[in-house]
Amino acid sequence: MPSSHRAISRQRAICRFKLTLLLPLIALFACVLVPVLLLQLYFSFHQWTVYLGSWWDADYVGFDMFESVFTDPRFGWAVVRSLAFATGSTIGCFVCGFALAYLMAKPFRGHAVYYIIFILPMLTVPVVVSYTAEMMLYRNGPANGVISALTGLDVQVSWLTDPNIALLTVALLEIWNWTPFSFIIMLAGLAAIPKEPIEAAEILGASRWRIFWEVQVPLLRPVIMLALVLRFLEAMAEFPKTWALFQGGPGSATETLPVYIFMTTWQYFEISKGAAMSYVVMMLMIVIVLAAIHLLRREKRSLDAMYASEAVEA
Amino acid sequence: MTKSQRRRIASVVRYAVLSLWALVAFFPIYWMISTSFKPDNQWFSWPPVYFPDPPTLSNYLNVWLGAGQYDVTQYAISSQKPLVSLWNSTVIATTSTFLAVLFGAVLAYGVSRYRILSEVRMFQLLMLRMIPPIVVVAPLSLYYSALGLLDSRTGLILVYFLTTLPYAVWMTKSFIDEVPREIEQAAEILGASRWRTVFEIVLPLIRSGLVATFLFILILTWSEYLLALIITKTQVTTLPIELSKYQGTTEGRVYGRQAALAVGITVPLMIVGLIIRKHLARGFSFGMVRR
Repeated sequence: MPSSHRAISRQRAICRFKLTLLLPLIALFACVLVPVLLLQLYFSFHQWTVYLGSWWDADYVGFDMFESVFTDPRFGWAVVRSLAFATGSTIGCFVCGFALAYLMAKPFRGHAVYYIIFILPMLTVPVVVSYTAEMMLYRNGPANGVISALTGLDVQVSWLTDPNIALLTVALLEIWNWTPFSFIIMLAGLAAIPKEPIEAAEILGASRWRIFWEVQVPLLRPVIMLALVLRFLEAMAEFPKTWALFQGGPGSATETLPVYIFMTTWQYFEISKGAAMSYVVMMLMIVIVLAAIHLLRREKRSLDAMYASEAVEA
Repeated sequence: MTKSQRRRIASVVRYAVLSLWALVAFFPIYWMISTSFKPDNQWFSWPPVYFPDPPTLSNYLNVWLGAGQYDVTQYAISSQKPLVSLWNSTVIATTSTFLAVLFGAVLAYGVSRYRILSEVRMFQLLMLRMIPPIVVVAPLSLYYSALGLLDSRTGLILVYFLTTLPYAVWMTKSFIDEVPREIEQAAEILGASRWRTVFEIVLPLIRSGLVATFLFILILTWSEYLLALIITKTQVTTLPIELSKYQGTTEGRVYGRQAALAVGITVPLMIVGLIIRKHLARGFSFGMVRR
């Protein structure tokens, strides 16, 4: 039958079209990502540093590199630092961003000006953030000066030289830099939640506090998850600010995972150890990311379901 | 306490908190700008100088145009070529962003209309962005040196294209989803090919969305640091790398100069960000915020 012929050829054409749409992505993966990951795997099983001749005839060493990574206390500490840094800065960004978004959820005079000022920190280049921090945070510098003036105390914090404070300094910079991210998506989230449940709760006489915790927060859960997950992952990968400001110092106070991998590879030239370390970190991150994707998809499905049921009611 | 009194107190508290944060957010930016106008004896003085007195343009002239390099050799940093870096940054950021948006939009069209990537795959695509780039830079640089792409614009463009593609797909998809399918069906009935439908109907309809996506991704490619640090060596440097040369200069702290460079790097980014400020939420929200 001609019509079914047509249908089949149409199906084929659509199939071809879909394939062509996907082709650039597949090509990019095959030409860049796959070779790079294979090279990484090669190096983590073959001992090579730049002093040891050509990389392609390096000695096979089995799991030695991984062993040296897992027995390296500096690596362990880097994991701890990275997790602490990411957790702290994520919570900091989220709390500040959500608080600001909550205060700005309703329009008021000056709203636009505050909005613009609040997103500016996100629009600075990370390297610029660290250099500006360096200009401000020295012991007799303007940061301590302003804090002293505001609190009336004589604040003299050694932000840049005290090993106990250095990681906190980077975390504060990260919070300064990325609070706008949480702020923007929480503000959009607050604007998008339906008004009716809140009005209903108000009519029933619920307090602001209860409305916040029992109506708004549950409705915002997908956005909250997103704000926390994305920020955490990006904070785990934070390199430019930490490196430009501290290069892992003072001592090893700011040696987070990215910094330690960078030092191992590009300062000690232990390419193989760096590769093995990278694989370990990549696996760790893939586990975290898969968990994150699972969470985000669950939230997105519940959101889709909620909007679908709303559409049916309307 | 009456209701109107309570409301007034709430309003005062709100302004106080917001103003405090505005100070926190803006002060470092102010400090950078004011330092860039300070003469060299005020960069690092005690007590801190809050307003440049008198303001001077010499930092800008020195850093960007190389003026006065020889009469203040104490602060001159040789081999600085910020204008070349500016050109490199512009070419690399705009080209890679353009490619990401173009291919991202086509992919997003396929996802939106033909489901060429399932929802799981879409989230997995985000992994490209979520795995720290540091874990692949070493093999990437060896791979690039084998291909002759190390220290070239092409190399950096290619890797930026790859790392920003997930954002481009997600963001353009959110715009394409809003285009009614009836228009495409009408085009098909009128005999337009599928590619013509994409390029002459759908993409022009989401023009402003494409511009927003472009500018959003431009922010990421313009400020990227790690990959540029590894892949570029001497021939091609981008502005963030140019700025990082001020780290550990032997001549001492040259805050005014580095601030002048930093302002030049940041201002374009701020302009771009303020243009698309209404679209920023869409770039970040990955379908979690409904309008």
